[in-house]
Amino acid sequence: MPYRIVDLELSEPLPELVPEGVEDGFALVGRWHGRPVGFTLQPVPPGGTLSPRALRQAVEREFTRKVLALEVEAELSGRWPHPDPGPAPSLTVAVCTKDRPQGLARLLESLEVLRPASPFRSLEVLVVDNASADAATREVVGDFVGVRYVEEPRVGLDFARNAALRTAAGDLLAFLDDDVVVDSGWLDGLYAAWSDYPNAGGYTGLVLPLRLDSSAQIEFERRGGFGRGFTRIHHRGAKMHNALHPVGVGVVGAGCNMAFDRRLLDRLGGFDEALDTGAPLPGGGDLDIFYRVIRAGRTIVYEPGFTVFHEHRETLNQLRRQYWSWGLGFMAFLTKCRRTDPALHPRHSAMLRWWFVDKTMGFVKASVQLRPGRARMIAAEIRGGIQGLLGEYDRSLERSRRIREGVA
Amino acid sequence: MTWRVVHLDLSREAPPVDPAEGHAFIVFWWGSLPLGAEAFVPEELPLSQDQILTLAGRFAAKQLAARGPSLGGVPEAGRDGRVELEPTLADIRACRGASAVLDALAADPQTPADDVSVIVCTRGRPKLLRSCLAALDAQRAPPGEIIVVDNSESGDAQVVSAHFRRVRHLHEKRPGLSVARNTGVAAATRPIIAFTDDDVEVDPGWTGQVARAFASAPEADAITGLVLPASLSTPAQRFYELQLGGFGTGYVPVRFGSRFRSEGLNHGLQVWRLGAGANMAFRRETFMRVGLFDERLGAGAAGCSEDSELWYRILADGGSCLYEPRAVVHHHHRPDWGGLEEQMQAYMRGHVAALGAQYLRYRHRGNLRRIGLQLPQYFLRVALRALRDGSSDHMRLLLPQVRGWWGGLTLVLRPGWRRSHAVPQLSDHGDPLVRRSSQSRSPVRRPVTTSLGERSEQSA
Repeated sequence: MPYRIVDLELSEPLPELVPEGVEDGFALVGRWHGRPVGFTLQPVPPGGTLSPRALRQAVEREFTRKVLALEVEAELSGRWPHPDPGPAPSLTVAVCTKDRPQGLARLLESLEVLRPASPFRSLEVLVVDNASADAATREVVGDFVGVRYVEEPRVGLDFARNAALRTAAGDLLAFLDDDVVVDSGWLDGLYAAWSDYPNAGGYTGLVLPLRLDSSAQIEFERRGGFGRGFTRIHHRGAKMHNALHPVGVGVVGAGCNMAFDRRLLDRLGGFDEALDTGAPLPGGGDLDIFYRVIRAGRTIVYEPGFTVFHEHRETLNQLRRQYWSWGLGFMAFLTKCRRTDPALHPRHSAMLRWWFVDKTMGFVKASVQLRPGRARMIAAEIRGGIQGLLGEYDRSLERSRRIREGVA
Repeated sequence: MTWRVVHLDLSREAPPVDPAEGHAFIVFWWGSLPLGAEAFVPEELPLSQDQILTLAGRFAAKQLAARGPSLGGVPEAGRDGRVELEPTLADIRACRGASAVLDALAADPQTPADDVSVIVCTRGRPKLLRSCLAALDAQRAPPGEIIVVDNSESGDAQVVSAHFRRVRHLHEKRPGLSVARNTGVAAATRPIIAFTDDDVEVDPGWTGQVARAFASAPEADAITGLVLPASLSTPAQRFYELQLGGFGTGYVPVRFGSRFRSEGLNHGLQVWRLGAGANMAFRRETFMRVGLFDERLGAGAAGCSEDSELWYRILADGGSCLYEPRAVVHHHHRPDWGGLEEQMQAYMRGHVAALGAQYLRYRHRGNLRRIGLQLPQYFLRVALRALRDGSSDHMRLLLPQVRGWWGGLTLVLRPGWRRSHAVPQLSDHGDPLVRRSSQSRSPVRRPVTTSLGERSEQSA
């Protein structure tokens, strides 16, 4: 069942990969001098191994061209004088968490390793405890030196994110979910993206799987996971090859790993607290903030070196629920956009049609190919989408108002 | 909405400043080596330095993987005409000095082009022809001869041709691009015969690149090259280039040979992936071996595909072709939407006719499968996608294509069309043009020479 995740440093001799126990294969993370250059799932036949030849072929099929591109980039950037980005900014890293002390500790440990070599002017780590049931979260934070603890009693990810925004001091404000671990190049990746393009309104990064132990986790990666590729992309207000951009803003990144110009977030009024209100509407807040940053005329830079590892949902039921919530969150987001941004109305309508036709086509395809598991995932997403269209945003607005009043 | 075609040279020592504003189609070069192109809407411009670096890295990596001296030779096309670029681990670990390699690849060819005859077939477009001939007149390696085959009734291209000292003007009254091309071949005197169209301006290095490509690939029977858009000022031109993919076959060289043949034969050789008639060249001896252009095909007859049908014969008979994108031409796409619809209909009609001709000659069933199965599937896919994306333009172009498909089918089903003898042979003695049955696979011992009158009946 499980796939072992293996880091392959391509500038060094390739290791020998022998599956242990019940492992079905390997998930290879190709790196070149530490920077991720590709990701691929390599199944191994039962009882077999991934032979050195098969490994080399996989590496050459998936990774080597990207390495060549990096080498060219390095050489050309040596020829072309780099524009001076100005003094390094300060950074606040905010972790919003609820009842997941072990995940939080794991993340804080991975951050602590990077801290001494931070290229930023200063680095502040902030934990926002979003109404956890017990004191475990506070105790975990107490174990780490120099990590600030803030409480947000109103339940909802975007209440927590706004609490971070109110107390953060950094020029840049990065958000991490409590189910990720940062990669060794995380800080440097963000810094590189900033120094190449300091005017961006936001930065997003690569999200790789932390482990692939269950069939739900493997299925999720097979369908592309959070993959946004291994090439830097600038996202602005329109795209040649995507007439619906920026309405289909999911391509920009994922909320579990994003950073923003803090002053811009302040000006925009922070996150929309009606989205991401926990169980009833667990999503959409990241889409909304990406959309508003881009519509404010600012660029969001996707930088693959800015990498985290995400713990995917463990069971198929959880995964199905996640697809449902993406459909729901996306349509709630779209409902809001149609209300607040009439200038892009045609794109919103086109997106609505595209989404339902595309999901229906995907459902038919999965059914024809006799993949009931995949078909059920898509069905869950469509169900979420329909529910999202039928007044979910208004219900959620009402819910967030009650939460606000309940706590006040 | 204004669109500009911008050329950006990345080989300079200073960081390139992207001059683009508004909508732009940016072609990236390393000196005279074309690296790649991308279209941008105003919101995406100007490109920042890190974006240019990213693009340069991606494009240059493809060049190095396809052409780098240590990274293997020109890759071979698979069934779909694409190549897998998989540089070896050992090579990338040893890779140093990418820009020096690019400099070498971009160096001007030293091969003279005296061995090249250039043929331009034209019909009633004197203004375009003048720019075309001006570009041919300004080649860094001048061709051995330039022949204009005037396919108009009146022979009005003579006036334009007369402006250029080195241009020979031939008047071929019988209509049809294949007929005109064949007349040009029969008149050409050099061992390499290159074609371009009257709506094209060839790049200054074009003939030199063609000559070098043949010299560097002695096994190649035919060369094709890159066709870039000269301008994208009208919606029809943009739709053709950006939505339909233009003539594009990419920026890395590709060998079409035994792998392409053996993988593709049962499914139908996808010869249209080789390139375009606006930028192609052949060895004279290849014409002697496989015959000339099929006069039932091409503009003025079935519509097009006289070029790809000839590549089909070359490949099916065991020959090989090379796509070399360093041989660059700039093509003026049809500016008006009506012209584009006509063109798409003619393309599809010619395509189906060529598939029919290929089947009749070789009995390769893949050609029938493409007519009867793959093309209807393609229409369905386009319709579904147009529905999803709400693209009325794709829908609008679908109908002419279906009409063209039907038109091609009715041609192929007509016994008279199937039986007509339309592939002339090139002969070095006596009359250079000899016609014989188009259906015979092996050379016919007794070539039948037909009179001109008979041929016009056949193509009617």
